[in-house]
Amino acid sequence: MDKSHLLTDMEMVGFIVNGYHLLELDLPEGLNERIAGRLEELDHNPGDAIAEEVPELWQAIEHPAVEGALVSLLGEDYEVQGHRHWHCKQPHTGHMSWHQDSTNNRDNRIDRLLGLFYPTDITPEMGPTIIVPGTQFRNAPTDRMATYTNIHGQVPMVVRAGTFALTHYDLWHGTAANRTSLKRHMIKFLFRRVRDNRAPTWNHDPEAMNVPTAWGGKRDDPKNVLSFGNPIGVGQSDHYKERQIRWKCWNNLLGVADASDG
Amino acid sequence: MSPTPPNSGVRQRLLYLHARTPSVFSEILGYTPVEPVRDYRAEITADVPDWPYNTVHDALVDGWQIVQFPHLQAPINDRDLDVVGYEFILQKLEEVQDG
Repeated sequence: MDKSHLLTDMEMVGFIVNGYHLLELDLPEGLNERIAGRLEELDHNPGDAIAEEVPELWQAIEHPAVEGALVSLLGEDYEVQGHRHWHCKQPHTGHMSWHQDSTNNRDNRIDRLLGLFYPTDITPEMGPTIIVPGTQFRNAPTDRMATYTNIHGQVPMVVRAGTFALTHYDLWHGTAANRTSLKRHMIKFLFRRVRDNRAPTWNHDPEAMNVPTAWGGKRDDPKNVLSFGNPIGVGQSDHYKERQIRWKCWNNLLGVADASDG
Repeated sequence: MSPTPPNSGVRQRLLYLHARTPSVFSEILGYTPVEPVRDYRAEITADVPDWPYNTVHDALVDGWQIVQFPHLQAPINDRDLDVVGYEFILQKLEEVQDG
């Protein structure tokens, strides 16, 4: 694999803290349009068979930048799972409430990812996916989210055609209403870790964390972002817990057998 | 078939505020208004929310009343994270025009 597509320490820490990573793919000219055109012509939702109906999607899944990010986050022999789904948000349809897919399986690890591919530009009016950064480690059944609508720090996937968003499986997500006459296309893929890391699988600098702890100071290096990043501004108690979970996750990715709190 | 409600009258407006801490002076992380009019739905929006209050106290100053405070039972495992923030439910009883 071309190591230039592996994530950096800062990007890895960004994923641990925020629970997502965006890639704008340099796909062959016209590919996004062909994918969107095929989706527009579908008269049914083929479910898991969407990549057979629209085989051009494999060029996104197998793009070097996607593979590099997946190797970085899930290890060299990650699995592309068989479940995938075309999320076609119809014109003039309402929002979708916050949820996590499946049951909640929070732990300290990065073992499962969602891949969200957008073959067209997505505007705020088209019903973008919206995520809440940093919520991937929360043990919060979807029913408990029913009294939330807008949350401080939420991020709409208002993106350019050809964007591939990787999110932690347990990240809170929903959608805004589609107020346009256009269909909003998103194809969801699942990826899974097969085995634990014995060593870092990204572009890791062993000295990356060998910097002073910046209590109240500049925090734009991996160590201090991992410790102090607070994307939605949670309270001190939750932040302390987040910090412990993140360092366990980081140590697990490094291949440290007995991942400590750091 | 439910009866047709009158088009106006005193009704209960609700406001779910999720605050950073159980203190009414802490910043709000979640804001969900519920207006007592037919077909109303609170929605997640793509635009950056522009909330009228920064804290629960701001809402109290504006005449909202708290009808439920956050549940503060200590978690069994203090290493777990669950929902975002602490939920206050507030009300205002106001004359509402509906339709």
